[in-house]
Amino acid sequence: MSAAFYDFVRGRSDDVPAGYTAAGLRVYRHLVYLGASQMIEAHFPAVREQLGDDAWRTLIEAYIRQSEWTSPYYGDLKDDFLAYLARESA
Amino acid sequence: MIGLGYRREMSDWDMSAVQADFFEVAPENWVHRDRAPLHQLIASGRPVHLHGVSLNLGGSSPLDLDFLRAVRELMADLNTTVYSDHLAASGDAHQLYDLFPIPFTRAEVRRVSDRIRQVQDVLGQRLAVENTTWYTNIGELSEADFLAQVAERADCGILLDLNNVTVNHQNHGGHDLTAFVQHIDLERVSYLHVAGHEWDERFGLYIDTHSQPVAPGTAEMARQLNQTHGIPILLEWDNDVPGMDVLNRELACLRPSMTL
Repeated sequence: MSAAFYDFVRGRSDDVPAGYTAAGLRVYRHLVYLGASQMIEAHFPAVREQLGDDAWRTLIEAYIRQSEWTSPYYGDLKDDFLAYLARESA
Repeated sequence: MIGLGYRREMSDWDMSAVQADFFEVAPENWVHRDRAPLHQLIASGRPVHLHGVSLNLGGSSPLDLDFLRAVRELMADLNTTVYSDHLAASGDAHQLYDLFPIPFTRAEVRRVSDRIRQVQDVLGQRLAVENTTWYTNIGELSEADFLAQVAERADCGILLDLNNVTVNHQNHGGHDLTAFVQHIDLERVSYLHVAGHEWDERFGLYIDTHSQPVAPGTAEMARQLNQTHGIPILLEWDNDVPGMDVLNRELACLRPSMTL
């Protein structure tokens, strides 16, 4: 799979790599967003509440764009998210 | 044998009333968690098998040996040797906690089957790979040929997901369920997955949501393979998990007696 595939999925680019469909790639971008959003919301519901829908979406999308997650454990996302916030506000 | 994917939502259920002969859990969820509920299921005479999501067989990062050792330890603890993951990538060199399509090419058959062999060498046992739902992909092979060639070259098992075949056929055409099954060496199939899916207007595609009853044609094929080849069936219901009554009804629909 090309780097361009994952650039689209992470929202770094809207260019559809050769041979793939835009609709299919949008499904993958949507599923990755849902996965990250649901896990982080489960741990930090108050943040979601405070930010409201639009700011929350902007935050999660920015978080996914820079993602370099390595843990095989999905639950570790919450620690990585805290590290991300710390980096961003440093 | 009819099985059910065990979910955390079921932790306060009386599991003795669930009409399943075996269960399946994601190892990623249990390596660091209290396994008492799983040991209770095993004590009731019903095995618990492992079905993982993060091996990243199609990815480009080196295989995570620490994780594989943790899975091996979990298998020993649960007294099972049945472990599967997806014939998919969970990211590029990194994890994205979803399942992405491996291009259906001969080059990928070689590369991915080598990675599966490596996993089997570390575990000292066979791994089964599951055919996945895909929403867009490239490559010169059909999905059924790709799966069959990988399994042959890696000498691994196959977890045949009938719902995924149905969803892919509805979305992309290609082999229907009957034609797909004919491509597969059924001797390699550890068990079948069935689940439900939904149409999503936003994308113009069927999405593999695991939140609906099993489609009639999918259930029929599962019962047939179960009867003719003795292949166990496992029901996955991962989102909007309904009450026990609905699940028991779905499980009953998968039993061969229902065809009479």
